[in-house]
Amino acid sequence: MEFMAGALGEIVSKSVRFGAASLLALALPAHAQQLAQNDINQMSIEQLANVEITSVSKAAEPLSDAPASIYVISHDDVIRSGAQSVPEMLRLAPNLEVMQTSPSQYVITSRGLNGNSADQSFPDKLLILIDGRSAYNPLFSGVYWDMQDVLPENIDRIEVISGPGGTEWGANAINGVINIVTRNSADTKGGLIDLGVGDQTSSAALQYGGQWADNLTYRLYAKDFYQRADATVASPGVPSGSAHDGWTKPQGGFRLDWTPGQDQVSLEGDIFGGAEAQTGLPFNMIAGGNVTARWQHPMDDGQNLQVLSYYDEEQRTSLNGGSFYLNSYDLEFQHNFTFSNWNSVVWGAGERIDQYRIHPRLGAANSLIFSPGSRVLNLADIFGEDRIALADGVQLTLGLKLEDDPYSGVTPMPSGRLSWKIDPHNLIWGSVSRAIRSPTPFDVDVVEKVGTGVFLTGNADFLPEDVIAYEAGWRGQVTQDLSVSVTGFDDFYSNLRSIEPTPVSFVPLYWGKGIGGNIYGLESWANYQLTDWWRLAAGLTWQHDDLKFVPGASGFLGVAQDGNDPHHQASLRSSMNLADGLTFDADFREVGQLPNPHVPEFVELNARLGWQVNDRLDLSLSGFNLLHGHHVEYAPGDAIRRNFFLETKWRF
Amino acid sequence: MALLKHNASLRIWGKRAAAVWLTLAAATFAGPEARAQDSLEYEVKAAYLAKFAPFIEWPARAFSSPTTPLTICVVGPDPFGPLLDRAAAGERDGDRPVTIRRLAAPAPDCQILFADGDNQAVNNVLGAEKDRPVVTVTDSGARAHGIISFVVTGNHVRFDIDEAAANAVGIHISSKLLDLAHAVKKGARP
Repeated sequence: MEFMAGALGEIVSKSVRFGAASLLALALPAHAQQLAQNDINQMSIEQLANVEITSVSKAAEPLSDAPASIYVISHDDVIRSGAQSVPEMLRLAPNLEVMQTSPSQYVITSRGLNGNSADQSFPDKLLILIDGRSAYNPLFSGVYWDMQDVLPENIDRIEVISGPGGTEWGANAINGVINIVTRNSADTKGGLIDLGVGDQTSSAALQYGGQWADNLTYRLYAKDFYQRADATVASPGVPSGSAHDGWTKPQGGFRLDWTPGQDQVSLEGDIFGGAEAQTGLPFNMIAGGNVTARWQHPMDDGQNLQVLSYYDEEQRTSLNGGSFYLNSYDLEFQHNFTFSNWNSVVWGAGERIDQYRIHPRLGAANSLIFSPGSRVLNLADIFGEDRIALADGVQLTLGLKLEDDPYSGVTPMPSGRLSWKIDPHNLIWGSVSRAIRSPTPFDVDVVEKVGTGVFLTGNADFLPEDVIAYEAGWRGQVTQDLSVSVTGFDDFYSNLRSIEPTPVSFVPLYWGKGIGGNIYGLESWANYQLTDWWRLAAGLTWQHDDLKFVPGASGFLGVAQDGNDPHHQASLRSSMNLADGLTFDADFREVGQLPNPHVPEFVELNARLGWQVNDRLDLSLSGFNLLHGHHVEYAPGDAIRRNFFLETKWRF
Repeated sequence: MALLKHNASLRIWGKRAAAVWLTLAAATFAGPEARAQDSLEYEVKAAYLAKFAPFIEWPARAFSSPTTPLTICVVGPDPFGPLLDRAAAGERDGDRPVTIRRLAAPAPDCQILFADGDNQAVNNVLGAEKDRPVVTVTDSGARAHGIISFVVTGNHVRFDIDEAAANAVGIHISSKLLDLAHAVKKGARP
């Protein structure tokens, strides 16, 4: 993941530990969102405001009707998990692999292909959106999770869609889309002081929100934390001394919401800077900021126009040399309308400009260079999607996106989805869709040297990595208290990146497109309201990676260079309302072994006891990874510590 | 959503026939019922409509007697179908039971009135109710706004409150409901 920081020789000598990231982990409780109507009518008026009424396709539709594998993490789920960071929140989605490699670094993917950082392969097939702002890094298509942060208090919900979302969502939605939606500032009025202390993490946050005018609300926040180092792994399963990888990152931001008439306008922004210790390497310094503006304009006849624009700036500097500066500008719009009573159409277009500068890391032993070191990347797209009501309860959704990426030109990404709502409680659906990961500077422009010799080079002919996914699923409200979702998938990949040696001389190595094949499996979760005070949520995913080298590929390093995925993950979450204001939550997770490099299967448990003392004061005690002093989730990666966290929230 | 509403309005030719038709539909037709249930948005709106009353104080003149039921009227094309009847079943406002009426035009004994239809129709209804102690409610997407107007924001159904308009006709809205509102047009505080 930390491709800017690592040394190079590991590819040949995998035993040497890499400078940065890693690991793996698991899944959690499920919370299916189907709500029987009785449930809605029994809700309090406060709860009604939290009911989710939309979904996956860009046109609004009830979540329970969305023809895709979608799991929604609610605000309450986030708070009750005790999670303090976005990656920890994502552990709540059973359809994600979340593997921690150090306090600040995670490997996160959906449906496999979690990469193999010792082979310079990083998970690079997810689209992350934070209120519509794309948060994957266009230099290598992976995500710097240490640069993404939202106060748990401000999370409205996180939609996790596994499977391709290329048609509907766009760039880099190969294996999934993570759509983080923050709360409207009208919902976060008042002051909040949030102080946390623990044996690994200390944190403080301050937020204030209010109403400036009849239809204008705002909030401002600032936060900081320090997270202590985990332990290094001396030999498999044996933690030794400190990994010296603690970190800190102050961040602040704002959000404004303005509702002139029926229109909705929001403007939000964040700014942060941080310092990360790295095992055996100098500090890593990170900084960034962003501003996102969105305007929604409802029109007559149910038409809706949305315009979104953002600016995002990031920089990352390793103190042993090597840094990048990235400025992204984005403008997109979409228009929804209906015609002839049975067609619901959404279409739109977008343009993103990524302007970057990479300073090489030059060293006597090894160097990491990008040639050229700066470029302006233009990514444009246009898409359309029609939701067609074929018969009562039967719906066909056809979509097409054309994406023009800077390296490979225009690629069509079509999708077809068919769903049948058999009765108000059961929906079955099936889909076929295509998505691509377009080439990046890391694929095309990279030059790595060992001493003065070129060790690895990018490939100017690199083609987009491509997936065609076949999916089918069922979502059912089996009884009033039990909801279930099951999805089967078979995803066919081609042109996955491989490392190829030059004939005879072996070096320089270069990126090839030598791996293809399919990954198939099942994703399932269930939500069971045992009593009015006790809910259980279970998740189980199972998958098989069947990747192969294509004829002519060298087979160097094996197919596990693209994915070192667990065969299965399971989770069970218990949420109890013990008494007025007193809650107890436990998250149990099990993750199968990783094949190569080998990481043993593990089980872990998080738990949180929360006490809402009164309207102003919340206290909670959380314990993370309670079953072991240390455990390892990915290789190479640190031994992740058991830790405790005591949190106080005061509202004023 | 607009699609669903439009379907409904097509099917309902005469406004007077609508009430009869919907009552029949609720009792006998599974088809239209299933269609209405597809709309989570309108389920939530129906639940809101049924739950507003306890947070609202009407002047005594709003009711013909102390035991008159609290009446929620739907004027114009009805987007709810049986959803609203189910949402209101069992709801009470203090000693008053809650009943639903579907009307072609405003009637005197409505306390909560949901007005739907084209711009002109909604404006006419709101104009007619302007000086009466009635909590007018308008749908998200409507140009004209009642005392309460639904808003769909961030995939959630919320509502705005025009407290000034409520106060002008002697209706007091509790601070709890005002706190829950997405936006409030403030009234004069005593």
